[in-house]
Amino acid sequence: MSRQPLPRTPKRLDAIDGARPMDEQLLAMIVGLTSEVTILRARLDAAERLLEESGALAPGAIDGYEPDAAAVAAREAVRLATIDKVFRPMREAALADLAATTSAGDAA
Amino acid sequence: MTTQLSEDRTGLAHPLIAVPSHDELAEQLFVRDLKLYVMQQIEPVQGQIAAQEAKALQGSESNSTGALRERMARHESFGSWLALKRESQRQLWHGVARSVERQAEDLEALARIENPKGSVRIDPSFVEPAYIARGDIHLMPGGNAHDDGSLLQGAVMDRGGAVYMLGRNGGMLNDLRGQTTMAHVLTRFPDFNPARILDMGCGIGTSTVPAAQCFPQAEVHGIDVGASMLRYAHARAEHLGAAVHFSQQSAERTDFEDASFDLVFSCVMFHETSQAATMAIIEETRRLLRPGGLAVHLEVPLLHNNSDPWVELSGELEAQFNNEPNWRGALTADYRALFEAAGFKDVNIGYQATSPAARSGPFRFGPESEGVFRSWFVASGVA
Repeated sequence: MSRQPLPRTPKRLDAIDGARPMDEQLLAMIVGLTSEVTILRARLDAAERLLEESGALAPGAIDGYEPDAAAVAAREAVRLATIDKVFRPMREAALADLAATTSAGDAA
Repeated sequence: MTTQLSEDRTGLAHPLIAVPSHDELAEQLFVRDLKLYVMQQIEPVQGQIAAQEAKALQGSESNSTGALRERMARHESFGSWLALKRESQRQLWHGVARSVERQAEDLEALARIENPKGSVRIDPSFVEPAYIARGDIHLMPGGNAHDDGSLLQGAVMDRGGAVYMLGRNGGMLNDLRGQTTMAHVLTRFPDFNPARILDMGCGIGTSTVPAAQCFPQAEVHGIDVGASMLRYAHARAEHLGAAVHFSQQSAERTDFEDASFDLVFSCVMFHETSQAATMAIIEETRRLLRPGGLAVHLEVPLLHNNSDPWVELSGELEAQFNNEPNWRGALTADYRALFEAAGFKDVNIGYQATSPAARSGPFRFGPESEGVFRSWFVASGVA
């Protein structure tokens, strides 16, 4: 059957005293991401417990895990890529400031 | 903190309630805990700031809620607290709506009841009152009167209500207010034996079912403005074994005959209406009751307290940002005067101790609040 999706945006959202809309949007995104992180952790916890129950994973195996050289390198690459992805806007902003400073210096 | 909104999904109160998946439950528990964090870790700090600001205002001519609000708004944390509080509420509905949509077919199958004991009557020409249409109450998207022809909005309200109340209001049954209302009836008249009962603004029937359980011989009716909620209420009541007749009507003016009920009640309805509607509803209650019949209207226990400007301001903010159309009106009304003007006698105004099951009490009613969730404000009168 064709069913209408339930509405997601409530009617009447008054402006909050002293708050900028962008602040609210950023806050909402952080809450959403925090929610996702707690869901991920709950799911990972469920996976670990189920694997332990089934005998596929020894208790404490994850905490005792020592990655070999290849795994260390792979994990480092993922970590650096994540940092670059998340903090790119701040680097871009700094670079833009630098460019402005440099061109201002050239003009003078 | 509560066993009924926990990770134990086997302890279902009734089969119709939307059951979250592993991830959806984690999402709902996050919202519950975020709301608690805001309430217990951030809000009290705002209260302390307000106490300092109120001190600074003392003696000045601008010693009012408005002046306090203006001073509070100069603190950046005031706005971020309000924004986080509102966002937690929006996340609640967002997550619950997605969970309900996922299991829509199962819920609709469960709602197909053969040989129901009760009934549901929808009015296609019904127009929602202005105070319902103006803003979605509790920020539930679509609002109480949302109708897409299904019962899904009712399912959202049921599951969302349990999360919203943090499980403190009777867990998944969310029925403490209905039980407490019936306990008030029995406190006043231990042998009360109504033949016909009406629950006004019944929503998904969380308070209607306790009435039917407390008085199994009675013919029980429930009215509300929302078609989706009423369809859900009907199926929910059937699953709980309660015979209830639901119909889509405004409590301000119903199509029931004069003097046709022995007990007319409502639970936390007035603060979702308007001052004019409150008066009309009390008059309608009087019209519907036979001589000697009882009216009981239950409200939130945080009655107006002029002495604390922060209580005043936080109530005002809750009303504005969580869309409670008549918060101030309901909390400041002179219910004794309204009841007496409508022709009620033996009017009782006070606080009824919260009852988990009406017939086992406690049958305690007095002029002082026992605290939020431990007692409820009640106004009652005899027709």
